[in-house]
Amino acid sequence: MIEFSHVSKTYPGSNDPVVNDLSFEVPEGEICVLVGPSGCGKTTSMRMVNRLIEITEGEILIDGEPNTSMSGTQLRRKIGYAIQQIGLFPHRTIADNIGTVPNLLGWDKNRIKGRVDELLDLVGLAPDDYRDRYPAELSGGQQQRVGVARALAADPPIMLMDEPFGAVDPITRDRLQDEFLNIQDDIRKTIVFVTHDIDEAIKMGNKIAILKQGGVLAQYDTPENILARPNSEFVSSFVGGDRVLKRLSLTRVGEMDLEPANGGTDDLLRISGGLSVKDALSELIGSGHSRAVVEGEGENGLLTFAAIENLMGGASGQVTNDGETSA
Amino acid sequence: MSNPALLLLQDVLEEPKLIDWEWLRENFWEDIVPAFQGHIFLSFISVAVALLIALPIGILSARYRKVYPPVTFVTGILYSIPSLALFAILISIPAVGLGPTPVIIALVAYSLLILIRNTVAGLDSVPPETIDAARGMGLTNRQILFRVELPLALPIIVAGVRIATVTIIGIATIGAYISGGGLGALIFDGINRQFPTMIIAGAVLATAMAIIADLLLLGLERYLRPWARARKA
Amino acid sequence: MISDILGVFARPEFPTLLRQHIVLSVVALLIAIVIALPVALLIRNTRVGAAIAINIGNVGRAVPSLAILALLLPFLGIGFWTALVALAVLAIPPILINASTGLREVDKGIIDAARGMGLSGSQILARIQLPIAAPVIFAGIKTSAVQTVASATLATFIGGGGLGDLIVLGLQRRGPEILLAGAFSVAVLAIITEVGFGFLESAFTPKGLKIAQKRRGK
Repeated sequence: MIEFSHVSKTYPGSNDPVVNDLSFEVPEGEICVLVGPSGCGKTTSMRMVNRLIEITEGEILIDGEPNTSMSGTQLRRKIGYAIQQIGLFPHRTIADNIGTVPNLLGWDKNRIKGRVDELLDLVGLAPDDYRDRYPAELSGGQQQRVGVARALAADPPIMLMDEPFGAVDPITRDRLQDEFLNIQDDIRKTIVFVTHDIDEAIKMGNKIAILKQGGVLAQYDTPENILARPNSEFVSSFVGGDRVLKRLSLTRVGEMDLEPANGGTDDLLRISGGLSVKDALSELIGSGHSRAVVEGEGENGLLTFAAIENLMGGASGQVTNDGETSA
Repeated sequence: MSNPALLLLQDVLEEPKLIDWEWLRENFWEDIVPAFQGHIFLSFISVAVALLIALPIGILSARYRKVYPPVTFVTGILYSIPSLALFAILISIPAVGLGPTPVIIALVAYSLLILIRNTVAGLDSVPPETIDAARGMGLTNRQILFRVELPLALPIIVAGVRIATVTIIGIATIGAYISGGGLGALIFDGINRQFPTMIIAGAVLATAMAIIADLLLLGLERYLRPWARARKA
Repeated sequence: MISDILGVFARPEFPTLLRQHIVLSVVALLIAIVIALPVALLIRNTRVGAAIAINIGNVGRAVPSLAILALLLPFLGIGFWTALVALAVLAIPPILINASTGLREVDKGIIDAARGMGLSGSQILARIQLPIAAPVIFAGIKTSAVQTVASATLATFIGGGGLGDLIVLGLQRRGPEILLAGAFSVAVLAIITEVGFGFLESAFTPKGLKIAQKRRGK
């Protein structure tokens, strides 16, 4: 569990803080995404967790202990660290790269070797093929996977990830995100994840912390709540004018509570239950009808515009500055 | 307040045995100026001739890559031969003899490697898209070379000229030993006559010329490459 | 003529001069390394320090070798030690420049990753920066070595000995075979130095970096 307690950072010689009185908690086993425009202090905040940047005011607590209770170097060996440029050591093999922190911690060679192979498997790279290669021989996507494996090597309870999938093309990034979410389902690390991309934040985060210029926390909540009830003009415009559609992408159409599709449905469009509600809506509109059949496990359901409206809980929340919603 | 380093410098400058200012004033036009002029002559001619030879070879090597390795090999060997040795070899050739000629030949030979290498590197640095665009606009190969490639390659070529010039100014000092003239003459004369004033005059002037040439050409290099001006040397 | 030249090598003076030349070069190079490398290490993280070092290096590279040798003459006298000091001073710039830039140009992302993972400053230097900068540092040492061997020929002018003595002797006594023997032996020595250090440079380049270089088409 990571807790930011009134954390501020002001660089010497400057009057304006880059991080301003930041307070929030990252529950154990969850991903908290720090997201915001350039200059909002998200990367600085992340780097204060492992003390690559020192706090000016406030403190960061890890499992109740301030992160200053040990030396910076010791702290960092307990925290996984994956950055956008990846930073693989070009002069060491993939195995050496992954084994860096276990090596620093004094694990014995066999244990390291076993762990390296385990991690290569986990990130989808065949150990026998990749163990002895050098970073220059790998593609961008492969390097990024090794970067994640390297961050997981010593099995740290906490991870810091700064745009870890940023250096690849969108298709590969999508795949890497999906695979990482699968891994996280198993390993349940407590993760602080930084991105500038609100869509990545919505996809990856259990909680999202939206930061404003000057390092001020604008809103801290689940993706669903931020999309449904943005607490300010800033948050509303940051998540985008299509936030209602974004909310629709959070649910699968097969999970909806639908009327059973009875007879008289032969001429209607069939939609797979695995599609997101947003994509299903798109198909529905394109079909020219006002209803469609959702095929999934069990009975087929009838998808209507009314059903989608119901899902959104009536009218979607309007934005007010005190955080209340009006219908 | 007296600074010990300044005091020492003062001592050195006033030491009658070390620098004879009288002599310098008297012999300025007889000895120093001719040496200076001779040195500029040697350096200038050598750089000019070297460029005349190296640029075409460089352009050729950039076009026909197979030529490049043997060219590098030969000029590399020439570069590895220590200057005094090359001078010695050259004056052994009856047609050459002593004087400025072997010095100029040797100086040219030394600078070929760096000039050719930088010409090739400069031409390589031109983005293929730019050449493609030029060809698409209907420029002939010759026009592309002179209007697009060479101008864009210029900063790197000038960097090579800078290194070559400084090297030439330096090695030209040794040429005085085989009667090539230049500031080295002051140095060698000074050593022979055990007259430190001449040694120091020659050495200081040669060093100053080299450093000034270096800075001037560095300025030219930076001027030609505005996007690199902000970065470190 | 060839047999005359070979005859020079057989004379007793030759091994002495060769030894002097090699000793001068090697010791001067070692002194330069001992001075330049620690300085480069010290300033590796400071921008101002690096700028100063690079500028000193650039100016130093422009100075004519003969000028330094000659300038020390009135102050230190003639002989081996003066030549040694001059050659050591001349050997510093290429090593200083290459070591400084090599260390500073290690990719910042790599250093950040290393720091973030928990390597200490000295671990980063020893395990990351030095190995990655090694090829550039060795290139600088190689340049300096070849330059030193060449400049050591000039030691003859200030009584420092070395193979330059042969060349000067040949010029003074008009003995072309002595002249050429001197010239060739220095040339060969310089080439051997270049090739030898080339091997060292390759030996000290980590395998992973060689692969990266090949990929970039260098």
